Amino acid sequence: MKIPQFVTVSVLAGVLLLPASVRAQSATDQKLLQKIEELEQKLKVLERKQELKDEETTAKAKTTPSIVLGEKGFGFTSADEAFALRLRGVLQLDSRTFFRDHGIAGNDGFLVRRARPIIEGTVYRDFDFQFVPDFGGPTAQIFDAFLNYRAFPELQLKVGKFKSPVGLEQLTVDVETLFNERALPTALTPNRDLGVQLHGEAFSGRVSYAGGVFNGSGDARNSTNLDTDDTKEFAGRIFFQPFKPEADSFLRGLGFGLGGSYGSEHNNTSLPATTGGTLGGYATDGQQQFFAYNPTTGVVNANGEHWRLSPQGYYYYGPFGLFGEYVISNQRLSRTGAAPLSSVRLENTGWEITGSYLLTGETAAYKGGVNPTHPFSLSEGGWGAWQLVARYAELNVDEAAFPVFANPATSASGAQAWSFGLNWYLNRNITLKTSFSHTTFDFVSGGGTGTRAATTAPGIVARQSENVVFTRVQLAF
Amino acid sequence: MKSIAAIFFVFALALSSAGAKDLKLLNVSYDPTRELYQEFNTAFAKHWQAKTGDKVTVQQSHGGSGKQARSVIDGLEADVVTLALAYDVDAIAEKGRLLPKDWQARLPHNSAPYTSTIVFLVRKGNPKGIKDWNDLIKPGVGIIPANPKTSGAARWTYLAAWGYALKQNNGDEAKAKEFVAKFYKNVPVFDTGARGATTTFIQRGIGDVLVNWENEAYAALREAGPDKFEIITPSVSILAEPTVALVDRVTKRKGTADVAKGYLDYLYSDEGQDIAGKNFYRPRSEKALAKYAGQFVKLSLFTIDEVFGGWAKANKTHFADGGIFDQIQRK
Repeated sequence: MKIPQFVTVSVLAGVLLLPASVRAQSATDQKLLQKIEELEQKLKVLERKQELKDEETTAKAKTTPSIVLGEKGFGFTSADEAFALRLRGVLQLDSRTFFRDHGIAGNDGFLVRRARPIIEGTVYRDFDFQFVPDFGGPTAQIFDAFLNYRAFPELQLKVGKFKSPVGLEQLTVDVETLFNERALPTALTPNRDLGVQLHGEAFSGRVSYAGGVFNGSGDARNSTNLDTDDTKEFAGRIFFQPFKPEADSFLRGLGFGLGGSYGSEHNNTSLPATTGGTLGGYATDGQQQFFAYNPTTGVVNANGEHWRLSPQGYYYYGPFGLFGEYVISNQRLSRTGAAPLSSVRLENTGWEITGSYLLTGETAAYKGGVNPTHPFSLSEGGWGAWQLVARYAELNVDEAAFPVFANPATSASGAQAWSFGLNWYLNRNITLKTSFSHTTFDFVSGGGTGTRAATTAPGIVARQSENVVFTRVQLAF
Repeated sequence: MKSIAAIFFVFALALSSAGAKDLKLLNVSYDPTRELYQEFNTAFAKHWQAKTGDKVTVQQSHGGSGKQARSVIDGLEADVVTLALAYDVDAIAEKGRLLPKDWQARLPHNSAPYTSTIVFLVRKGNPKGIKDWNDLIKPGVGIIPANPKTSGAARWTYLAAWGYALKQNNGDEAKAKEFVAKFYKNVPVFDTGARGATTTFIQRGIGDVLVNWENEAYAALREAGPDKFEIITPSVSILAEPTVALVDRVTKRKGTADVAKGYLDYLYSDEGQDIAGKNFYRPRSEKALAKYAGQFVKLSLFTIDEVFGGWAKANKTHFADGGIFDQIQRK
């Protein structure tokens, strides 16, 4: 309760305006004076009580946890911000429709591409954690599970399962990719792996780095949460954004760097895929496998050194964005089980270039997604953000893989894909995407004569090109 | 694998070598000790640097003694606590398990390096004619103590009033309860700590008499001037023994056990005792007590053990939820 100021002023004025002689004159006057003094005391007491109440409220606010509920998810934060728990989520509902696929059954359809609750938080101010299971595939699995210690922005330590720091598009947050699927060369970079990583950024963000030791995973594979050999893989990346702190520079959105890995692997889980069917392998935009280490007889294993190198870069300016990368994956393999026994070093390469333009004028960036200036609302007249996207990508398999390590009848030696699409960001949380992708294939001489598996999807491509229309409804918070 | 070991070794080395000689302590204390520990911390930092070469920075946290104890139990990383009541340190030992239950035996004088008592501060000329405790319960007298639920000084005040009433009524508990009930009926506003009560009385001009620590009353008099206030020493009061303790689990984790122990030991040194006297706390050492004897009026003091059987019993009877203080507040 706040005592109105005019009451206080009136009473005090009353006291002061009474001449001293009058105050002392008679007993009546004395009583009046006493009454006024009592009233003054009461006012002071009420004011002090209010003051103490305000102090208590302020003190309580300093220790009361805050609850956050907004576009970035739901969270609780302790009053001193040393502890936090956030709940976020991703849901991607896709459709793929293939055209001119010569009547192959079972590859058109709707699918839950990703369904991931994200639990993350902070303990003791400097320790972050994240836990991300995925329920979008045929089996539930843990995608990310890590602890990160932020000693300084320049020096942080991450332990657990997370993305290995090599490929540019691989490291793009899953909900911020421009197309439903990442481009062909991403298949040559390691995905999530278990390990320990030092990372950080320095010079006001001009330089960022990450380097660590991991179990080692094959191309286009997630780690299976355990390691079946003693050898390990070192992976690292350094990235420069020399104009990042310069807000007005037209080069502020320029970034370039180099990622790479070096290790030794000794089993068939360290390869993209050794059979056809649903294993990842090297797959098209439509997620149909076009290459696997699938000789007609024998088993192919990783058998030693494996290194990757990926020069990469991007440029963003206003609504315009462009990024690209080149990837080399060089690996020693052996084939066992049937003659001829062989060992070989193969070098597969890929590259992509992707452009985007926000028709509604928002600012494009590699990180942070698109924030519509006028979120979609029929009542308020907003239409969200609209973005055109286009991409060209290639992946080329070392032809020395054929025919001893891969069956030329059912594995292509290369793929080229161009794609374009339109993305509609209704708001920060809901995105609709549609795109078209056309992929053509190369085969070694005499190859490509096999047929697609008619009863399994995705199948193995044959000689004809792939034409597919994608749609996506995405909820991310 | 050698490479992995090397990375961790370098990382660990970098962390361990940072700031080894720059020590920080947190002293969580009660409300009116700000000035005492500001002066003492400076003296101790000089002493410790001369002794060990290490630089010490002592941070202070002040508030109602009970509230401060709860903060430490809830995670405030105090290296040392210097609280108004042994009971509050007991709570840290029992509920927080941050130090052993026999903590009080680890330092001289039951870990109370200085003492104080409860006196009255009245407005100049003593317009309400207050001379002793029985003047405080007269109708129309506004008393400003702190809240016994949150303040150490307030608990000492309550017990001092109770002890006086017992003495006046030949140990009659019912009459003592009646006396204390009248006492708190005259309280227009409760502050959570001793310093807040001083603010209410002096700066806000509320009430006729501040009932507070002796050291706080003298410090307030020095601050506001003897032309505005005067101290009234009652015929009898309680011997208040604020206690200090090392918080073992925190200092062990932070690696500050040696300097924290040195800090508390230094309170008993000649310089520590002199600083206590200078800030109107009654020193334990004969030398300092003699030096500052002139500033303390002699009065009859009783201890909590003599009248109440110790803190645990006093707390259970008077201050626990549903205790006598709650009973008289509900009336």
